[in-house]
Formats: sequence, C-alpha cells, structure tokens
Amino acid sequence: MRILRSDIYENLKMALATLRANKLRSFLTVFGVVIGIITVMLIASIISGIDVSVTREVESFGTRSIYISKFSPGIQIGRRSREERMRKELTYDDAIALQSLPAIELSVPFLDITNNPFGQKLMVSGGGKTSAQVALQGTLPEFEKAGTQVISEGRFFTQTENDTNQLVCVVGSKVADDFFKIGSPLAQTIKIGPQEFRVVGVLEQREQFLIGGGSDDQNNVIYVPFNVAQKLKPNADDIYILAVARAGLMEEAKDQVRDTLRVRRQVPFAANDNFGMETSESILDNFRSITAGLAIAMVVISSVGLMVGGIGVMNIMLVSVTERTREIGVRKAIGARRADIMWQFLIEAATLTGLGGVVGLSIGWGLTLLLRLLLPSYVPLWAPIGGLLASVGIGLVFGLWPAWKAARLDPIESLRYE
Amino acid sequence: MSDATVTLSPTENVINAPATEVDGHDPSMLISMRDIWKTYQMGTEKVHALHGVSFDIPRGEYIAIIGPSGSGKSTLMNLIGCLDTPTQGQYWLNGKNVSEMDDDELARIRNQEVGFVFQTFNLLARATALHNVELPLIYGGVSASQRHEMAKQALTAVDLTDRMSHKPNELSGGQRQRVAIARALVNHPSILLADEPTGALDSHTSAEIMDLFERLHSEGNTIIVVTHEHDIAERAHRVISIRDGMIEKDERIR
Ligand SMILES: Nc1ncnc2c1ncn2[C@@H]1O[C@H](COP(=O)(O)OP(=O)(O)O)[C@@H](O)[C@H]1O
Ligand SMILES: [Mg+2]
Repeated sequence: MRILRSDIYENLKMALATLRANKLRSFLTVFGVVIGIITVMLIASIISGIDVSVTREVESFGTRSIYISKFSPGIQIGRRSREERMRKELTYDDAIALQSLPAIELSVPFLDITNNPFGQKLMVSGGGKTSAQVALQGTLPEFEKAGTQVISEGRFFTQTENDTNQLVCVVGSKVADDFFKIGSPLAQTIKIGPQEFRVVGVLEQREQFLIGGGSDDQNNVIYVPFNVAQKLKPNADDIYILAVARAGLMEEAKDQVRDTLRVRRQVPFAANDNFGMETSESILDNFRSITAGLAIAMVVISSVGLMVGGIGVMNIMLVSVTERTREIGVRKAIGARRADIMWQFLIEAATLTGLGGVVGLSIGWGLTLLLRLLLPSYVPLWAPIGGLLASVGIGLVFGLWPAWKAARLDPIESLRYE
Repeated sequence: MSDATVTLSPTENVINAPATEVDGHDPSMLISMRDIWKTYQMGTEKVHALHGVSFDIPRGEYIAIIGPSGSGKSTLMNLIGCLDTPTQGQYWLNGKNVSEMDDDELARIRNQEVGFVFQTFNLLARATALHNVELPLIYGGVSASQRHEMAKQALTAVDLTDRMSHKPNELSGGQRQRVAIARALVNHPSILLADEPTGALDSHTSAEIMDLFERLHSEGNTIIVVTHEHDIAERAHRVISIRDGMIEKDERIR
C-alpha cells in the first residue's frame, strides 16, 4: 500500500481546488446532505432537550419513590382491560403494612377525592372564585418526609390533626395564587365542598414541562388529612400509595413491596401482579422507549436526505469523471496507478459531502441555539460526530462507482478524448 | 539524470545482428523489441497496427520515428512508453521484460522510466507550472520538500525559472511545452518520449523546442521523437521509418 499521508493531503488540496472551481454546482449537489445533517442536529437536540426536561421533572418526584396503584404502569392508550378495572382497590392498611418493611423508609396512602365525571362534586371556592378543577388529595403528614413537595410557607398538617379530623389543608402554589390574591393564604380559609378549611401551609412551585401537558396542574392541588378526605367523600376508594426506599435499597424495596402486596391481595403463585409499581426509573425507561422510536424516525428521515444527496454526488462525480477523462489519461501516463485515481475521486467526493456536512452542522448548530430558548436542549456529542462521519461516508460510498469508472479508464483512449 | 549519463556507443547494425543475446535480447540495450505485434479486433476483422517489429535502442540515443498517418507510429510509441502491452512479442526496457507486466507495474515503469511529451501539452489547467511538474513525483512517493526542489530544478533546466507560479493559460505555447518537458524530465527517466511535440507550435517556437531536445540529448538523455515531418526527424541521430506497421528503414544519419 503506497497511500502515504502526503497523498491524502495532496488529494485533499486537489479536491478543494476542484470544488472551488465549481462552487455553485458543488453546493447544489450537497444540498441533500446539508438538509440531512441539519435534521440530525435538530432532532438530536430536540430529543436531548425533552429528555433533560423529563428526567429533571420525573426525578423531582424522587429517585427513591415507588408509586403504587391498582393499575399496571405504562402509557395507557384507550380503555383499560376489564380485569384491570375490576381489580380491588388498594387500602390504607396496605400503606401502613408497607411502612414496616425493612427496606422502606416511609409509606403514605393517598385518597383521591378530586371531582370526576361520575362521582360526587366537591367544588373549591375562596376569594370569590369557585373551581371544580383543583386536585384534592387526602394523605398523612409523613408525606412531607418524602421530600417531593416542599413547604414554602407555614407547615404541613400533623398526625394529631389527622386523627382528630381537623379541617386543615396544605395548598399548591397555583391554588395560593388563584384563591388568595391578596396577602398570605396562611390562616385564611378555603371552602372544599360544604366545609371551610384553614390553610396551614403553602407548597413551593413545581417546575413542570411534560407531565400535565405543560399546564400548571401540578401546582393546582390541595392536600387534606386522610381521615378528613374519607369523611368528605365517604364512597371514595381511589387509593394509591407512595413508598420511599431507604438509600441504596431501591431494588430490595421493590421486591419487598411486591411480595407483601401479592400476599395481601391474594395473588396466586405464578399469576401476574394485580397492581402496578412505578419508579422514576421505570417512568424514564418508558419515556425513553418513545424517544428511541423518535430517534429511529430521525435516522430514517435523515437517511433519505443523505441518500438523495448521495445520488446527487454520484451524478456529479460521474460528470466530473467524463469531463476530466483527458486529465485522468495524463495522470496515468505519468505514473498514477488505478488506486491513485480511485483515491483521487473518492477523496474528492468525500470532501464534497464532508463540506456539505460542515455546512449542515453549522446551520444546525445555529438552529439548536435558537431551540435552546424554548427547551433546555443541548447537542449530544454523537450528533455532530455521527453527522460528519455520515456525510464523509456518503461521499465515499456514492463516490465509489464514479471513482472505479475513472480508475478503469484506458490511458490511451483517455489521452485521445476530446 | 544520473543513470542516463552512461552513453554507450551505438553499434553499426542495430537491427540485424545484436552482438550478445541473453534470453533473446541484448541486456546492454536500453530498449529491446523482438517481433512485436499489436492487433486490434474491429468487429470480425483483425487490424494489425504493428506486425513483427524488432529493434534495439542503446542509452543516450536521439531517435526519430517517422511514417505517414496510420502507419503505426502512435501504437509503437504507446508500447515503448508502457501505456499499452503488445499482443505478441517481447519488450525489454532497462533489462526488465515489460510485455508481461500488470497494470500497476506498468504505472510504476511509466512513472520511473518514461517521460512523455504530448503534441497538446496535456498540462493540468488549474495547476501552476510548478505543481504540474511536481505531479509525477507525487505518484512516485517523493516527499513534499524534495519534490519542490526537484521540480524547480527541472523548470530551471528548461529556462522557466521565472514562470513557476504561472498557470498554463498564462503561458505561451512554447512555454507550455517546456513545462511539459520539465514534467517529463523531473523523475530522471530512462527515455524521453515525444509524440509530435511541435505539432501545435509555430515554426519559430518549434525550432526552440528542437534546440532544447538537442541540448537535453547532449546532457545524456535518451530521446525518441515521433513525427511525420522530415525536418524534425532530421534533427535526430537515427531515423526509424515505419509503414503499414512494419519497419521500412532504420538508418543512422549522424
Ligand atoms: N484502438 C484502436 N482500435 C482499432 N484500430 C486502431 C486502434 N488504434 C490504432 N488503430 C489502427 O492502427 C493503425 C495504426 O494507428 P496509429 O498507431 O495511430 O498510426 P499513426 O500514429 O502512425 O497515425 C491504424 O490503422 C489505426 O486505425
Ligand atoms: Mg499518431
């Protein structure tokens, strides 16, 4: 092999000179490549941006948190199966039972008494405003220790307040803004259904991006003592449980919760769980299986662009070989081997598409900077590297046939070519 | 140019009785052709561009190949220059049997042993004179700095010291041909092969180029000029006349 570094350098110089001589034609040729690379850059940074946001948001619910409900986890499309709908509810006692597991730090039940189309209506009113849209949750003061909701003003309600059915509540930041326009909500009252509740605490605002569709739902919430919630809506049985694992014992915690609930809910051996557990990790896994699909779609879309570009490059290289038949003849006469001619045209094609790639990367990079105004996006390192490799690769692959044609030309006939 | 300085005195009757044959050729000769045929298949018909050509050329000779159009001059020239291989027959160049070489070996021989000068110059239009002259050295794997030195030397040898960074379209016809000659000489080849080198030049410039050939010959280069013009052929020391693919006459004129 006599393909020295200086040969590649010489070829590169020659290729650049040729491209400079045909600027417009070169640019039109690599347009497809430019578009393909821009697509890669943009979609990669969109995916990364969404991923960062979702990860941040999901992890704010606690990396040690296990959310347990009677439904199986995952994204639900359409109506749940009859078996799922017929499952028995989780209970307060389930939550208390989990509390005593060795790998569990704390476990709290939630009773969802939010208005729903079929249930009894509980309107929330205060400060002259009435709404049916506020999420109403009964829970225990232990919840505060989970650290997923932080009090910004006042305090959480106490176990005693729960046990003695005190009408106290902790409100989300949106509720605080909507119902208490003037002054602090603390010690003021808000009416839930027929009863007046005293606000003892206000929650910090949660950043939210995807979950809840970008609305402010996460902050439009009121927590009341579990016992009070049961009294407010006696037929409510929509219970879910938040269990927090001890540090470093996430896997053990999940196993223990599963084993305990299977026994308590009399799941036969070998049958599937009749409840669902979600962790930030499982939610992210789920989410990432969607973005993986997006990434594949991106690869397909940009491949089409790159293919179109590649065919353009092949076409232009074939033209170039014909135009330069005589030059090829001269080069062969003065000692160029087939491999030398082959490399010359391959490197020229790769330089062409590589420059297209660089243009695409620059434009794409500019666009991702704009995108950053909307999303906390970044460009993952693989995108420019992969994009550049792909664009150079396209040149090499689609330049192969023209280069081979050039290399095979007969020197005598080429020298005679007009 | 170091290997070309060994000038052997040409024997009197080069064609008929080579003195010391080894393996059917004379190893002291630069070029030995034995019963060379070149046949082209044109449909069902066979065209013999060359039939049974044999001759020897010692180092340092200045030879003209002359003949009418279609007589086989270019075909012979392409064989001598290793751009093509014979259909039949043996060709030794510098003791190496070229008739059996593959494509890459031929390319190497062209690069190292042969310098071509064409009627239409065949320079790369976008490259400077210097880069055009460097080209054979690039394919010869010569390092960039050495390449530069050698190309400058070759351009100096053809009196183009002050035109090195000019592109072909900034040069006159005679200057272009001198760039082409510098390119042919830069690798210090065993033979300089020129096919109608003055065909595209006016008579004054032609004379200049022929003077240059004469000087290069006096410096020890082996030169073969293909032409159909007698006054060009008469500048050589030996004239091989071909007609219908055969050697008609092979005479020493100087
Ligand atoms: N590639 C080819 N295919 C067929 N015939 C050819 C080819 N090259 C040369 N010939 C024929 O060989 C003969 C000699 O051609 P050539 O060597 O070019 O002659 P010259 O250079 O003396 O004019 C001519 O009859 C020509 O038609
Ligand atoms: Mg001819």
